[in-house]
Amino acid sequence: MSEVVIDNLGKHYGAVRALDDVSLHVAEGEFVTLLGPSGCGKSTTLFALAGLDRPTEGTIRIGDRVFFDAAAGIDVPAERRGIGLVFQSYALWPHMTVRQNLAFPLKLRKVPKAEQAVRIEEALALVDLTGLGERLPHELSGGQQQRVALARTLVFRPSLLLLDEPLSNLDAKLRHKARDWLKQLQRQLGLTTLYVTHDQEEALAMSDRIAVMQAGRIVQLDTPERIYRRPATRFVADFIGAGNFLPVRHVGHDEGGRMLVETGEGVRLVTAGTAPPGAGADLAVTIRPQHLRLSAAPIDDENRLTGTIVDRTYLGARHGYTVAIGDQRIQAESEQLFEPGAVHLAFRAEDTLLLDG
Amino acid sequence: MNIAVSRDPATGWPRRALTIQWSVALLTLLLVVAPLGPILWQSFLDRPLYEAGAVPGFANYVRLFGDPDFHAVLRNSFVFAVLATVIAVLAGVAFTLFLERTRLPGRNLLRNLLMWPLYISQLVTAFSWYTLYGPAGYFTLLGERIFGVPLWDMYSVPGMAILGGVTQAPVVYLFCASNARMADATLEDAARSVGAGPFRILWSVALPMLRPPIIYSAILVFIGSLETLAIPLIFGRPVGIEFFTTFLYSKGLGAITPDYGMIGAAASLLLVIVTLLLVVQGLLLRRAGRFVSVKGKSQRPKRIDLGMGGYVVSGLLALYLLVGVLLPMAAVLLRAFTTFLTPLLSPFELLTLENFQSIFDYPVHVRAIVNSVVIAGVGGLVATVLIAVIALVIRRSSFPFARALEYVALYPRAMPGIVAGIGFFWAMLLLPFIGALSGTIWILMIAFTMRGIPTAYGAIAPALMQIGPELDQSARSLGADWWTAVTRIILPLTKPALFAAYTLLFLSFLKEYSAAVFLYAPGAEIIGTTMLSFWAEGEGGAVAALSVIQLIITLAFVLIAHRFTRTHRDV
Repeated sequence: MSEVVIDNLGKHYGAVRALDDVSLHVAEGEFVTLLGPSGCGKSTTLFALAGLDRPTEGTIRIGDRVFFDAAAGIDVPAERRGIGLVFQSYALWPHMTVRQNLAFPLKLRKVPKAEQAVRIEEALALVDLTGLGERLPHELSGGQQQRVALARTLVFRPSLLLLDEPLSNLDAKLRHKARDWLKQLQRQLGLTTLYVTHDQEEALAMSDRIAVMQAGRIVQLDTPERIYRRPATRFVADFIGAGNFLPVRHVGHDEGGRMLVETGEGVRLVTAGTAPPGAGADLAVTIRPQHLRLSAAPIDDENRLTGTIVDRTYLGARHGYTVAIGDQRIQAESEQLFEPGAVHLAFRAEDTLLLDG
Repeated sequence: MNIAVSRDPATGWPRRALTIQWSVALLTLLLVVAPLGPILWQSFLDRPLYEAGAVPGFANYVRLFGDPDFHAVLRNSFVFAVLATVIAVLAGVAFTLFLERTRLPGRNLLRNLLMWPLYISQLVTAFSWYTLYGPAGYFTLLGERIFGVPLWDMYSVPGMAILGGVTQAPVVYLFCASNARMADATLEDAARSVGAGPFRILWSVALPMLRPPIIYSAILVFIGSLETLAIPLIFGRPVGIEFFTTFLYSKGLGAITPDYGMIGAAASLLLVIVTLLLVVQGLLLRRAGRFVSVKGKSQRPKRIDLGMGGYVVSGLLALYLLVGVLLPMAAVLLRAFTTFLTPLLSPFELLTLENFQSIFDYPVHVRAIVNSVVIAGVGGLVATVLIAVIALVIRRSSFPFARALEYVALYPRAMPGIVAGIGFFWAMLLLPFIGALSGTIWILMIAFTMRGIPTAYGAIAPALMQIGPELDQSARSLGADWWTAVTRIILPLTKPALFAAYTLLFLSFLKEYSAAVFLYAPGAEIIGTTMLSFWAEGEGGAVAALSVIQLIITLAFVLIAHRFTRTHRDV
């Protein structure tokens, strides 16, 4: 059993709350990503799980073992948690060969020499590094070092795998490859995994569920699809790359029960869904750049806006446009080439989302 | 909130990490308090601290400050310290500016020579100056023969201050040079572009930038001058010029019945003065940190070209080193191989090996040399290990009192050698388990180790801080406890710093004498104490021979260490 249960975890330094009431349950074999900007508490949560950072309140339990309980005064030291942690910098010991790095956790567990050799070979094979056991860390490429770090963690068969931005030191091409490979390996081993990143693309591609964190709190915990399509707050929408936020006022409903809103210029728009609970009359409507249609002539659609193209960026297959609408600026994309000047925009109600302003 | 991690749930015993951390912290505290406590305690007692029925009070301090002899001691010590500091700063800063900021001819040779006094015991340097410039010194007599009157008097406070300044100039140079090397050369270029000549640039731009390290090192030299025993012992005591250190020496060893109260009060006063100076230094350094900007980008500073002036400056600096360092060393060497040294006779008619015979013919003297080497070699090693663990606890553990431990570990900077010696001597009288070490080389090793903690810590701690925290964190997450993580991962990565710390401790243990004068006993002599005994008996030749032996050991060790670091670049 390696279900992870984090309840009401908090870490306060005086008035500063690095972690604020963080609760997270990860099922056996699940891949959950903690996503957020730097300083949001995602690494602190990971290090608290590993036992390298001591929270001030809450509990951490894995399976039926309690690792941390502030109220009961339980804090199992890192070395007794049996949790594998892969560091952002890999933290390979520079004075030991790859094999010695891998042997270290086995020696600590008093694994017999013969079995050590077998398990090290297995782990190296798992990460495609067979035959590189005698190398020193600095003799390996960044991608290889990253896989050694992973092998060193897998070799002692941890009950839980923690990954702290393991791909951030790789170049973009390698990062894509490593991402797919890592995901496949995790499926193959069925290892419960907690992954920390600030890269939303990585999070969307790899995770079973994503916990978006902001200022020490989890603001949304959901599947990648729902995080992408239905961000709960403006912060999540922004972080996931929704792009455009147009301030609007709620004015009523149409006959189909859809929300009617009005922009600052008095343009009436139809939107999908409902306003988030507790929101006032001031809202924001989001539309992704690729969902906006541009045209030189007026478009006949339920949602229409007019604006002025102020900037154009060549993106390869498409063109990116910055369009001024009143005092707002929004981003749009199109395969068509438009010159700076007046332009018409249209979008479908189901491509919009209402958030609190 | 109280998180109980002190006990292992499996065994019920305290965890290994905390056991080690507490043991090391308590041992460090004991090392520092053992000499400190008895001195402070004795300073308030009206009779020797081992006698029953003592009543605490301020009588000792009243007696001390009422003693006109002690007024002279205070005056002499401070005049000496001020003069020596001025001389050391002038020499050290001049060398810094010309060696580090200009393209001076022969600067590498000059730099190597300048550092010599750091490797050599002050006792040896003082003796070498005595041989040349003392009242019956070679050059003194030569001058007297030519001019009819002695040209200088080393038996004076200014005379001693020159020697004190020369021996400590390398300290000033060390601190200023590292700053000067990092200085931004564009500031000097800017001065040149508005028309300043090379000497003007050094005076108006380079020198003011050195103000923080000058203040810092000046305080160090001032403390070093208050602490020195060799110089006043050789040049002051014969004519009754007493300093703080010789006052303690005379009251403790010179008198038939030592005046415990006076010694305690005077030693405590010296401790307070030095502690205050260190506090002032710390405050100044903290303020200095605000306006000193050290750039991470390493740049090779452009050096100023002095033209022909460079040869003049080079010649002047070389003359200083010749008179202050080279000739005195040559004199010791010559003195060791002659029956006596005088301008009246050619030294080559007086050549002899008797001086060395007078050492090697007596097992007691050979034993002193062996003891010195054992204390430096073995004691230095044990001390390095201990101080490495202290540094690990302070810098790489979650020990709750790490900060307090650092203050304790650095406190010995404030304890002059002779005061530490008196303190341990009294601790042996008071505490039976320390008393058992009386008359052994162990008590010397313990005292030297205590004195060596700040030096070795200064070499090890910065290296520890350069290692990323994830290297031991990863070991912890893979199942290593604190002790395994730091010994298997962190210590191997700090090998060069550990080796540097061992080198520093070996050299300082080898040349140490002031902490030993109260602690040595028959069977536990060292080179320094034997030199002092020979000195007291007027055996100048034997002192010179011992000096040469100590210099040879030092040279051999430095060469081996150098070779070792050259061939083991990765250690």
